[in-house]
Amino acid sequence: MTMFRHFLRTPEGRAGGLILALIALAALAAPVLFPGDPLAIAAQPMLHPFQNAAVPLGTDRLGRDVLAELAHGTRTSLLVGLAAAGAAVLVGAAVGTAAGFAGGIVDEALMRLTEAFQTVPAFLLALAFVSVIGPSLATVIVAIALSAWTQPARIARAEVLSIRERDYVAAARAIGMHPAEIALREVLPNALPPVLTLASVIVANAILIEAALSFLGLGDPNRVTWGGMIAEGRVVLRAAPWLSVIPGIALVLTVLGVYLAGEGAVEAMARRRGAP
Amino acid sequence: MPDFTFSRRSLLKTTAALLASTALPSAVFAAEAKAGGRLVVAADSEPKNLNPAIVASNGVFFISSKVVEPLAEASYEGENGLAPRLATSWEGSADGLSVTFKLREGVTWHDGKPFTSADVAFSALNVWKPLQNLGRVVFKDLEAVETPDDHTAVFKFSKPTPFQLIRNALPPLTSVVPKHVFENGKIEENPANTALVGTGPYKFAEHKSGEYYRLEKNPSYWAKDRPYLDEIIYRVLPDRASAAGALEAEEIHLAAFSAVPLADLDRISKEPGIVVISKGYEALTYQLVVEINHRRKELADLRVRQAIAHAIDKDFVVKTVFLGYAAASTGPVPKNDKQFYTADVEQYPFDKAKAEALLDEAGYRKGSDGKRFSLKLLPAPYFNETKQFGDYLRQALAAVGIDAELVNNDAAAHMKAVYTDHAFDIAVGPPVYRGDPQISTTILVQGGIPDGVPFSNQGGYDSKKLDDIIAKASEEIDEAKRTELYKEFQKEVAAELPLINVAEWGFITVARDSVKNVSNNPRWAVSNWADTWVDA
Repeated sequence: MTMFRHFLRTPEGRAGGLILALIALAALAAPVLFPGDPLAIAAQPMLHPFQNAAVPLGTDRLGRDVLAELAHGTRTSLLVGLAAAGAAVLVGAAVGTAAGFAGGIVDEALMRLTEAFQTVPAFLLALAFVSVIGPSLATVIVAIALSAWTQPARIARAEVLSIRERDYVAAARAIGMHPAEIALREVLPNALPPVLTLASVIVANAILIEAALSFLGLGDPNRVTWGGMIAEGRVVLRAAPWLSVIPGIALVLTVLGVYLAGEGAVEAMARRRGAP
Repeated sequence: MPDFTFSRRSLLKTTAALLASTALPSAVFAAEAKAGGRLVVAADSEPKNLNPAIVASNGVFFISSKVVEPLAEASYEGENGLAPRLATSWEGSADGLSVTFKLREGVTWHDGKPFTSADVAFSALNVWKPLQNLGRVVFKDLEAVETPDDHTAVFKFSKPTPFQLIRNALPPLTSVVPKHVFENGKIEENPANTALVGTGPYKFAEHKSGEYYRLEKNPSYWAKDRPYLDEIIYRVLPDRASAAGALEAEEIHLAAFSAVPLADLDRISKEPGIVVISKGYEALTYQLVVEINHRRKELADLRVRQAIAHAIDKDFVVKTVFLGYAAASTGPVPKNDKQFYTADVEQYPFDKAKAEALLDEAGYRKGSDGKRFSLKLLPAPYFNETKQFGDYLRQALAAVGIDAELVNNDAAAHMKAVYTDHAFDIAVGPPVYRGDPQISTTILVQGGIPDGVPFSNQGGYDSKKLDDIIAKASEEIDEAKRTELYKEFQKEVAAELPLINVAEWGFITVARDSVKNVSNNPRWAVSNWADTWVDA
C-alpha cells in the first residue's frame, strides 16, 4: 500500500495512473455501453464525428460506429499488451533464473539462445511468425511474447547472479534445501521487482507491435483493433482523416499512459528504497 | 458494343465527368495531335513474367500490350466489337473446324526481323495452347496451324470450335511472340519473357525493380505516324494512397485500374486539370462473387445458398463498398455483355425474413446464442473492395444467424487455401468476365476440374445438368443456338447457385487533362496506346 502511495505521489504516476484507469474503464464498460458486435453496421456510412448523436464519433466506410469500435479496440489492445507482457516476463524470468542459478553450460546455452533471439528485430520476428501460422489473437500474443522475453531473461539472470552469492542463499544451501526450491522460493522473488519495472516497456511495445501487425492486415480480422482501424481509414485518409486520427490518438494515449505509469513505478520504488 | 451499366447516381456523376473531359478536347480534336513527349503512369505491380502470350492477365497486359500485339483489339465501333491489329481479317469455316486469318504485311519485330505467319503458328501451338492460362481452354482442340503463305494462317481444330468464341478471344488471348526468339530452349525460361520483343508501337527499354518500367517509341511501327509518344514510364507505386497525391503533384499523368481509391474520386474530380473516367474497361468486367464450398453439408443444401443470396443487400454493396461505381449482378454474365446477357433468371432480392425462413426450413434453427452454424469466410486480398465486402458479408450473415469467421491471408496463401487445399466454407473472389462465358466463366462452376487451378470451381460443385449445357455450348457452331445455350446456363446457375454473383464493376481511370485519346476502346488500359498523346 505504501508503494502505491509513493506511486501516486510522483507526477508521472498520477498522470499515467489516470490515463490507464480511464482506458481500463473503457475496456471494461465496452460490452455494456456497446453490446453486440462492434463491427455491426449501425448507421449511414461515413458520418462525420459530432454529426449524429447516436454515433458521436461518426461512422466508417461501412457504417460502423467508430466509438463502439474504439471502445472494443481498447479491449484488444490491453488484452494483447498484458498477455504478451505477462508471458514474456514469466518465460524471461524462468529462463534468466535457470541460467543465473545453474551457471556453467546451462547458463552458456540459455544465454546464447537469448542472444540468438535478440539478433532478430522484434517486429520482423512477430511478422514472420504471424504470416506463417496465420493471424489470430493467440498467435499475435505468442508472436509478440516470442521477441519480448529476452530482456527480462537477461535482467533476471543479472539479478540472480548477484543474489545467489548473498548470505541468506548460502544459509539456505547450508540447511540442505533443494536447489530448485532455493531458486524458486529464495532467489526468484527477490530478482523479480527489476524485471517487473521492465514490464511497462514491454506492454507499451506489445501494444504498438499489435497495432502495426493489424495495420498490415495481420491482426485477427474478427476483432476490432486500433491498428486495423487506422489501416482501414488510411484508404480514405484525404476524404475522412478522422477515421485514422481517432484510433491513432487512442493508441498514443495508451502507450503514453503505460510509459508514465512505468516511470512512476520506478520512481516509487527508488523512493521506498531511499527513504523507507 | 456493350456500354457499362451503372446506378443512376453514378451514371450522373460519370456523365458529368465525361462531359467535363470532352468539353475541352473537342476544341483540341480539331487541332493536330502533337507527337513527342513522355507519358508517366502509375503501375501497382511488377509481374514476374511479363509475357502476355503466357500470362493473360490485366497486370501483365497493362505494360506488355504496348510492346506485344494481339491479332485483333476490342473496339467500340468495329464489326463484332473488334479492330484489326496483326490480323487484317478473320473468317470461320461453316463446319467450325477452321479459322483463316489474313495477316498484316510490312510488319517487323523490334529486332528488325519480318513478322510472318510462322510466328502466329508458333505462338498458337507452342505458347497459347500449352502454356497460356486462358489459351489452354479456348485452344484445347487446336490441332495445327497451316501457313500457305507468309501472310495467311489457317487454324485447324480437331472438334468443331465456335467461331464466335475465337472472335471474342482475339483481344486477350492472341498476343503474338516472335518464333526466332523463342524457338530455342525452354519457352518459360526465355529472357524475352521479361525483356519483351514484339511488334507493338513501343519497344521495351528497361525495368528498374521497385522503381519503373520504360518503354520507348518504335520508329518503324506499321501504322504510319504512330505512336505519338516518345516514351512511356510506368512508375511503380505499390501504395494505393500515393497515386492520387502523385497525380495532383503532376508527377504522373495517369492512374488506371482504380489506382486512386474510390473514396478519393469525389474529391479529386474537383481538382483542376484532373479528370475521372469510368469508360474504357467494358471488356474487362470484374465480378464480385461469393464462392461456396459444397463439401460443407449446410452449404450443399440449396435452401441455405438461397438464404445467403437473400441475406446480401446488393444495392448496399454497390452504394457503400463501390460508392456507386459498380452494378448489382443477376447472374454469371454481366449486364454489359449485350451478346449473352439475360435478365430472365431467378432473382434473390434482399429479404432477411425470407432468408431466415429458408434456413429454418432447411433445419438449421437458431441456437440459444442466436447462431445457426459457423462458417469460415475467406475474402480475396487482391482488392480493397473484396476485403470490404468480406467485412460486410460477415455482418449480413450474422443478421440471419450465420456466424462467419473471417480468415485473412496474403495473396499466395489465399490462392492455396481456396484453390488447392479447399480450406474454406465461403470465399469472396473477383473473377474476370472476358467477353465470352467460355473463356473464363464456365470454369467457375464446371465439375471435374483438377485441384490447384486458380479461379476455377474448387468448391466441389458437380452438376450433370450444368456440365451438359457447358459441354454442348462449347461445341455449338451456330451463334444463335450457342447464345441460347449460354442463356440457359445463366438460368441454371442463378437457380442452383453454385456460386453467388453479387456485383460487377469496371475500373476507373484518373488522368491529367493533358493526356488525349484516353479510354477510346473497351480495353483501353490494356491496349497499345498508339494514338495516345500528351498536350504539353
